[in-house]
Amino acid sequence: MTRGLLLAASIAMVATAGEACELSGGGAQRIESPHHVVLYRAQPAPRVGEHFVLEFAVCPAPEGVRVDATMPEHRHGMNYRPTVTALGGGHYRAQGLMFHMAGRWELVFEVRAGGATERVAHSIRLE
Amino acid sequence: MKPSWIFLVFAAASAANGAAPALTEAEVRAILSHGPWPAQWARDPSNRVSGNPDAIELGERLFFERRLSVNGEISCSRCHLPERNWSDGLPRAVGLEEVDRNTPSIVNARTQRWFGWDGAHDSLWAQSIRPILDARELGASAAHVAKLLRGDRDLSCRYRRTFGSAPGVEDERVLVDAAKALAAFQETLVSGHTAFDEFRDALARGDKAAPALYPEPAQRGLRTFIGKGSCNMCHAGPAFTNGEFHDTGIPFFIRPGQVDAGRHGGIKRLLGNRMNLLGPYNDDAKRSSAVGTRHVALEHRNFGEFKVPSLRNLALTAPYMHNGSLATLRDVVKHYSEISPDRLHSDGEAILKPLRLTEWEIEDLIAFLESLSDGGGNYRRRQFAEDCR
Repeated sequence: MTRGLLLAASIAMVATAGEACELSGGGAQRIESPHHVVLYRAQPAPRVGEHFVLEFAVCPAPEGVRVDATMPEHRHGMNYRPTVTALGGGHYRAQGLMFHMAGRWELVFEVRAGGATERVAHSIRLE
Repeated sequence: MKPSWIFLVFAAASAANGAAPALTEAEVRAILSHGPWPAQWARDPSNRVSGNPDAIELGERLFFERRLSVNGEISCSRCHLPERNWSDGLPRAVGLEEVDRNTPSIVNARTQRWFGWDGAHDSLWAQSIRPILDARELGASAAHVAKLLRGDRDLSCRYRRTFGSAPGVEDERVLVDAAKALAAFQETLVSGHTAFDEFRDALARGDKAAPALYPEPAQRGLRTFIGKGSCNMCHAGPAFTNGEFHDTGIPFFIRPGQVDAGRHGGIKRLLGNRMNLLGPYNDDAKRSSAVGTRHVALEHRNFGEFKVPSLRNLALTAPYMHNGSLATLRDVVKHYSEISPDRLHSDGEAILKPLRLTEWEIEDLIAFLESLSDGGGNYRRRQFAEDCR
C-alpha cells in the first residue's frame, strides 16, 4: 500500500447532515449526538497530571464550541480552563486540558448552532 | 513486558512462597505506574542555565550564603537542611520570624509543576525568589542581592562565568538570575532508589525472586494504598503526587480570625506576579512552559486546598501537612482513617471519606510509606578549593 493510500485510510470519515466529517491523522474518537458528530484526538494520550491538546472536528460546522471535562463521581472538574482555537471548516484545537486524577472523566463538547447548545460527551477512564 | 505476564509471574512467585495473595493485573498496573525512579528529566526551558554546571556551582554557593539575608545571618539552608532531607523538622518554618507553613523538602523539586504549598509560583526559580524577599524569611530586596553579587569578587566571577557577563545595573534582573542559579542547584537534589523501587522494578522485569524480598507489611500496606485507601488517586506517578491541590480537612486557621486561603490565594498571587512564566523573565521564547499558568482556573473550591506533596523520603520530613500540625506518619494515616467529611470545604467534591482502617492496616500502611525513603544522607557539599578568576 502506498504512503498516500495509508494516509487516506487513516482519515476517519462519517457522514452527517449531508456532510463528510473528517479528522486527518488517524486514531480519532467519534461521538455522536442528535445533530452533531465530533471527532477528536488527544495529543499526547491523557495521563494523570499531564497537560494534553485536543484536536477535533465538529460536523456540521457549528457557530461555536466549548470544551470541558468533569469527574461525575467526584463531582469536580478540571483545575484548568481550556482555550479553544477555531482552525476553520469546523476544525478546532483545545489547549490546557489536564486530568489530575485517575478514574472516570467525562469529556464534554458544548456545541452552539442555530441558537441552541448541544452537549456531546464522551467517557474516558484513566488509570 | 505486558501486565498479564507480570501478573502470572508474580502469582506463581507468591504461591511458591506462601506469601500474600497474588496481585491482580489492575494492582500490578497501578504499582508499575509509580516508576521507574528517578523519573526522566529534561532541563527547564524557562531557565537558560538549567543543567549548566557553572550555574549549579553558583547556585550551591548562594544556597548556603547567609549574606543573602538582610541581616547577614540566614541562608536558604536555615530551613532546608541537607541532614533533614532539605526540610527543618519544625512544624512551621522560622526565618527572621516564624511563618505560617511547614517547610517543604526541596528534594525532587525538579519534578514539580507548581511550587509552594499554595502553588503561587510556576517555576523553581520564581519560587526561589519568594523567601529571599519575604520579610519573615530572609527579608532582603533585589537591590540587596544585586549589591552582593556585584561586590563579592568570587560571586561576581561565578555570575559572569554562568551568565556570560558581569551582574548588570538592573537589580531585578540580577535577582532573577541568582534565583535561576539557585534553581539549577536544587534541580540536582534527587532522592535515591528505595525498597519500593526494588520491588516495583522486579515486577516490571518479571523477576520471580526479588518481590519476595520486599517486607510483607509493606506489601500489604501498598495494597491498601492502591486499594481500600485509594491514596494513589492523588499520590500518583513516580513521585507519588499528581502535582495538584486538594482540601484534606486540615484546619486552615492560622490564628483566631486569620485563615490560610491555600490554593485560592496562591492562584491570585501567581497571576499577579510579573515573575511568572507569562512574564518577561521566562527564557522560553515560545512560552510552551507556560501552559499551566495560562490556563489555570480560579475556583471557589480552591479555598483551603493545599498541594499534594510527594511521598518520596516522607519518613524523613516530619512533621506533616501544610501547617506541620501532624507530628508523625501514624498521625497522618489516622487522619485519613478518621477524616470528617464535614470538615472539608470543597463545594461538594466527593473524594475523601473516612477509611476506617484497622490497627493492622495502619501499621502496614506506615510500613509501606517508610519503604518510599532512601534513608537520606546522599548529599555531599562540593568543595570549592579554587577561586574563580
